[in-house]
Amino acid sequence: MTTPDDIEVLAGEYVLGTLDAAERTAVAARRLREPALDKAIRGWEQRLAPLDDETASRLPPPDLLSRIEQRLDASRSSLSASNLLELETIKRRMARWRTAALAASALAASLLTVVVWRESAVQRGPQTFVGVFAQDDVLPRFYLTIDLASRELTIRPIGAERQPDRTYQLWIASDRIGPAPQSLGLLDDQLGTTRKSLSTFDPGLLRVATFGVSVEPLGGSTTGRPSAGALHAKLLPVVADP
Amino acid sequence: MQSNRETLIAMMARVAAGDRVAFRAVYTATSAKLFGVALRILKRPELAEEVVQDAYVKIWDNAGRFDPTVASPITWMVAITRNRALDEVRKGATPVVNDLSLAMEVPDPQRLVSDLLVEAADHARLRACLDALDAERREIVQLAYLEGLSREALAARFGHPVATIKTWLHRSLKQLKGCLDA
Repeated sequence: MTTPDDIEVLAGEYVLGTLDAAERTAVAARRLREPALDKAIRGWEQRLAPLDDETASRLPPPDLLSRIEQRLDASRSSLSASNLLELETIKRRMARWRTAALAASALAASLLTVVVWRESAVQRGPQTFVGVFAQDDVLPRFYLTIDLASRELTIRPIGAERQPDRTYQLWIASDRIGPAPQSLGLLDDQLGTTRKSLSTFDPGLLRVATFGVSVEPLGGSTTGRPSAGALHAKLLPVVADP
Repeated sequence: MQSNRETLIAMMARVAAGDRVAFRAVYTATSAKLFGVALRILKRPELAEEVVQDAYVKIWDNAGRFDPTVASPITWMVAITRNRALDEVRKGATPVVNDLSLAMEVPDPQRLVSDLLVEAADHARLRACLDALDAERREIVQLAYLEGLSREALAARFGHPVATIKTWLHRSLKQLKGCLDA
């Protein structure tokens, strides 16, 4: 049982910064569904904020703002692409993909899988990839975009449900990485947008990689693999509708 | 006349509506503060740049969630930056090298906008409550917050077991809260 005192100390250590990586991840996940913890964290941020004045301001490099704006532009172009993709279109594409995928192999029903395709007609170039994570192969749950220029991935829920005591974990799989999927970390916010930098991956690899989302215990998979079962390494790129 | 804080709050509302010009203004007013905070924790300018980039993207994405009745804009932004910086430094990949000389310290050009937003009274009260802590424990709290030192690093620096540091942190936090909320 967590007492109010425990929550205060935990929140205080979180803001102070003395929790280790696993503890920080757990608190970041808990605060999303525990308003008392979230409030305690904000309280500590407020209490300790005067200390910020003891840190000298330092000028960032002059090009930092334009680098930030490039990232904002990249995600805006993918958002406008998402607007074009009405749910009906998504469903149609999912159906097409499902037929192909079922023919290729059986799907683990419990696992969320993703299809990645190229936005050819509606995009400026083949730099942006979008995918829909669907549960049980039917119900869209997450919408994913990858901007190859910035190698940034954005994932946001489409009617995903908040999972109490659970967290969503993102994976990448490719023959070029190895036989096992590699974790890309947890989704920051079950109901909001999460961004991940994929700068350690080659764009050529990202073009063909498979992405997956699994439901994990808080703090993420303890085995280093998706708990729900093996990710499907073969994901069929679907050509955009004419 | 609007205070700087009110100006920044008004700009945040425009950022929430997707106003890029307002975003640039917010960046200009706050970036040296956020970069200073990130650099002090991460020590390496290239990591601090990454973290500050992420922080501003998050500020843009989440501006609509900013609540001026809960926090001042700069406190909210520093919290986003510190969280991201601490996550990075706790991943353990950061060697403790001090490249701070590479980043030019500036004579707080943004001080009017950011630093003074924290009310002087809050300052005085935190200072008084910190001063009420035992000297070593006060230093531990400040080093943790400002430099992002882990319990292990604090234990090594002060020559105490990690468990002792943890106990002290908990006691200091309780004492601080009691003092500040009194």
